[in-house]
Amino acid sequence: MNRVVEFIDVGKRFGDLEVLREINMKVEFGEVVVIIGPSGSGKSTLLRCINALELITEGELIVNGISMPKQKRRAREIRLEAGMVFQQFNLFPHMTTLENVAFGPRKARGFSRKEANEIAADLLDKVGLADRSGYYPSQLSGGQQQRVAIARALAVKPKLMLFDEPTSALDPELKEEVLTVMQKVAEEGMTMIVVTHEMSFAAKAGTRLIFMDEGYLIEEGDPKAMMASPRTERLQNFLRHVT
Amino acid sequence: MTFEFDIIIDALPALLEGAKLTWYITLLGLLGGMTLGVLAGLGRTAGTRQVGIAASGIHIAINRTLQTVSFAYVELIRGTPIIVQAMFIYFAMPMLFEVLFEVRGVRLDAVTAAVITIAINAGAYIAEIVRGSVLSINKGLIEAGLATGITRFQLYANIVGPLALRRMIPPLGNQFIISLKDTSLFIVIGVGELTRQGQEIMASNFRALEIWSAVAVIYLIMTSILAFALKFFERKMRII
Repeated sequence: MNRVVEFIDVGKRFGDLEVLREINMKVEFGEVVVIIGPSGSGKSTLLRCINALELITEGELIVNGISMPKQKRRAREIRLEAGMVFQQFNLFPHMTTLENVAFGPRKARGFSRKEANEIAADLLDKVGLADRSGYYPSQLSGGQQQRVAIARALAVKPKLMLFDEPTSALDPELKEEVLTVMQKVAEEGMTMIVVTHEMSFAAKAGTRLIFMDEGYLIEEGDPKAMMASPRTERLQNFLRHVT
Repeated sequence: MTFEFDIIIDALPALLEGAKLTWYITLLGLLGGMTLGVLAGLGRTAGTRQVGIAASGIHIAINRTLQTVSFAYVELIRGTPIIVQAMFIYFAMPMLFEVLFEVRGVRLDAVTAAVITIAINAGAYIAEIVRGSVLSINKGLIEAGLATGITRFQLYANIVGPLALRRMIPPLGNQFIISLKDTSLFIVIGVGELTRQGQEIMASNFRALEIWSAVAVIYLIMTSILAFALKFFERKMRII
């Protein structure tokens, strides 16, 4: 089975507000899908539906073989296979960097403390923060916190990584270090779905670009081709604003 | 009329005996109060901190029941004076048992009644402290926790609980000190705690100035010990 995520006529509404409409898309293993679109277009909601932080209200969403909303009791199994990185980092403030990263392996995967710490140390090394393992989140810069958050999401060995505007809360200098780590993760073959405004990342690391507006999936295709010659007027307008 | 320290020294053994009982009622009562408070506090937040998959069917019914029971308990206790609660538990309960179950002579001894009163009374206030702290935990942290694939129980045990506990310490300190001082009300059901001891000595020697000064100082020492213990705990738990 090569398909990690499949949306079939998915809709999501919060009361009267329709946030996602008629979404159909598939993500295969190894793809790096970049989602762009204006604020309120439903990008974040789409991502949050994938790891069951939101439940879809129409259609069917299959993640790693588990179908929502039918199998909603199995939300936890989906989350184990879908690591998530948030805009606001959301590191656990009462745990050190190492404890943050070791938390998932230890509690969700049942590794011993020693094994979990080894996994965490390896990952911190990978994101370039081996020397910060005893620090608390408040002692780190935003870019460092987000790199720890990436390591934390990778630590449970997910099949899929979800990034929800991971660099939007960072200044330009710190963005770069986070994007570099993300690119490294992509190069290792991780399946990724990334909501971002970083067009350079989309061009460099993305295997596919998706443009959303008002809850609809408007356009998708090869990132460079789409940026060079957008088919729809809406994407043309959007690209004029972000670049 | 002079202030005579000898009077205090003579009274000290009896006063310390009373202070010992005050500690006993306070600590045991607060242990029960914390248990009740955490249960009722979490009960009041049941189902309100859901992320993603909302509760359905039987779970909604369970959450509503927990919320209603906890709310009723908190309102009942907050809405009545502690002295009435003590009277009720000590004097009215035996009669209630007689009326309801036709059993006679079910009577708690005064110290047990005092401990139960503190537990039930402090529990209602602690429930609100617990509720407020749990509700103050950032939703993003709850989502980040769940996103790692842990269960709800693990979420509360490892993330919500430890973070909420830190926010509870200052208001808990208040409640602990209030409960300690509230034990002086048990004079009305004849418990020989500190205030009662003072009252009895005063009634035999009429040295109100010395006795009540001594009683006040002993209370002050006890509340200071509580305050320092909590301060120590708070410092140990502080997040850098």
